[in-house]
Amino acid sequence: MTEKAFGIGLDVGSTTTKGVIIESDGSILASHLQSTGASAASAVAHVLGNLLSISGKTRDECRIIGTGYGRNIVDMAHKTVTEITCHSVGVNALNPDIRLLIDVGGQDSKVIRIGANGRPEDFELNDKCSAGTGRFLEVMARVLEVSMDDLGPLALKSKSPCTISSTCTVFAESEVIGRIGSGDSPADIAAGVHQSMASKIGSLSKRVGVATPIGVTGGVALNPAFRYYLSDILKADLWIPDMPQLTGALGAAFIALKDMER
Amino acid sequence: MSDEKPYRKLETQALLQQIAFRHGMEAMAASEEGNLAWVSSGFPVEIPVAMNVFPSYPEQAGAIIGATKIGPEVCGFAEDLGYSQELWSYARASIGSTDRPDDVAMGALPKPQALLGCNNICGTILKWYDANSEQTGAPVFLLDTPPLEDEQKPHHRAYVKQGLMRLIDFLTKTFNTTLEEDRFREVSDLSSRAIKLWTQSLKACQNKPSPLNCADRFLTMAPVVSSRGMEHCTEFYEVLLMEVKDRVKQGVGAIREEKIRLLWDNIPPWFILKFFNKLASRGVVFPADTYTHAWSGAVEGTDTSSLLDGIVDIYSNVYLNKNLDAKIDKMVQLIKDFDLDGFVMFSVRSCKRYSLGQLVSKEIVTERTGVPGVVIEGDMVDSRLFNEAQIQTRVDALLEMFV
Repeated sequence: MTEKAFGIGLDVGSTTTKGVIIESDGSILASHLQSTGASAASAVAHVLGNLLSISGKTRDECRIIGTGYGRNIVDMAHKTVTEITCHSVGVNALNPDIRLLIDVGGQDSKVIRIGANGRPEDFELNDKCSAGTGRFLEVMARVLEVSMDDLGPLALKSKSPCTISSTCTVFAESEVIGRIGSGDSPADIAAGVHQSMASKIGSLSKRVGVATPIGVTGGVALNPAFRYYLSDILKADLWIPDMPQLTGALGAAFIALKDMER
Repeated sequence: MSDEKPYRKLETQALLQQIAFRHGMEAMAASEEGNLAWVSSGFPVEIPVAMNVFPSYPEQAGAIIGATKIGPEVCGFAEDLGYSQELWSYARASIGSTDRPDDVAMGALPKPQALLGCNNICGTILKWYDANSEQTGAPVFLLDTPPLEDEQKPHHRAYVKQGLMRLIDFLTKTFNTTLEEDRFREVSDLSSRAIKLWTQSLKACQNKPSPLNCADRFLTMAPVVSSRGMEHCTEFYEVLLMEVKDRVKQGVGAIREEKIRLLWDNIPPWFILKFFNKLASRGVVFPADTYTHAWSGAVEGTDTSSLLDGIVDIYSNVYLNKNLDAKIDKMVQLIKDFDLDGFVMFSVRSCKRYSLGQLVSKEIVTERTGVPGVVIEGDMVDSRLFNEAQIQTRVDALLEMFV
């Protein structure tokens, strides 16, 4: 049997599936991200195939950890670990100082207090509601007829953000349509949307207890307006890794390495 | 093959079916004789039992409806009548099963001649029993036990005792019966003995390994809820305690390999008690919970007046009738006494009295004990409000903290 020397993390999220392969010193050999789509199993197979092909490794040489909401469908995983632990471990590997991690993904958001050992000490997740997740921004971008990439920069042009009072995606959509009808500018509406979302995440963070330094991961971390308003609400600078969507998969890969050391 | 399961089934559990069957038959006979009262779980049942009024429990019927996985359907019957999905699911199950008893395989209760509610468990009882009263034509008696902010004051005791006097009067007139002191003393003594036996079984879970898991206690609590003051109830807890003591003596746990000990807060999701058994396969046991510990007050007294004083004390001071600090104190005490590693709080949106304040409680309990906890959200009867994937992620993440 081939000795395993590489760690692979596969993070199956509701919106995207991510994968990272690392070697024993922790350096990243390859990473891949793609839409999860209608078949999470196909997405997993495709991401894994990519990682192996780019890195030139075989599956037998790797220990695989599955994470994310779809972790249980990663058939080839040697173990599954929740995304809460994986994000903590991944962020800790990149920046051991981070004490509070805010991860905002496509359909969930989580706030994790990271202990000195790099593992979660406490955490909170959003409840059964997509407000405060990437989906919220997607819906609002569609209503405002801008792309997701343009939504954040548009919001940052605002000098007078609208107040979006609803914390429910469906009701907020109606509210935004009402704002459009009232003649508010797209920039002000977009800013209000980001402010509303940052407020929701800020409230979740306060439930866990704000501890600095704060890291932000997940696809929404790429949005400059979200970062701006969240930083304003938490009254703290935010640390964002280069690839904020991959920290869960990275953490899973590190856990795979750790398992092999045992 | 049962040996391969990660948990051990209690032999005493076999008696439960007999007790439930017997209770059901006696309730039907009582109904036909014009002698049945529906009673809320926190009601001082020693008084109606001593007056030969037979009790049936809509909340327990709700648990059966939940456990037999017809909760959404039966709650739906109540929703068809216009009741909100936000209403307590025990109330919806009761109103729904009363409206369409022929469509409910298990859990519809025989027609009552009176409805005895006590608001020490929540205020919804008032309107729920009013609705049941409209459906069945049975009159409602409400025993009012105002919530306790701290210690029970003399005027509070006097008020609740007056309520008990009114109850005796109500039962006398409604059922043409009397409260005889000897019988009252006998019933109270049986109730007290059952509670003490039950409490000993609960306390035995401080041992490692714990002789009982959550699901064991949720099932074996049934007689102490429904049959306090009856001989067979006391006998059941004698048998249970013997088995529990035997397990402790032999070092046999409720699960095969105990690794993590957790506290459970709130009523369980009756439709998925296997939740606890699945966790057992990962070495997780729940030696304590706030729910089954709620039936722990034994009525003491030598004559009618002192027995009534004992009842006032016990039924005013139930877990749900106290303030948030008292609930937090109880959780902290259980975590310390049972040497627990963490806790799971089940937030039941439809059971507001139990679930309100859990987010704050979680923070304070962790601060005071140093152990982590998690809040999961769902319902005890209505599986439509239970998202297994979300719950699994939260519980898994909690367990990963112990690695």
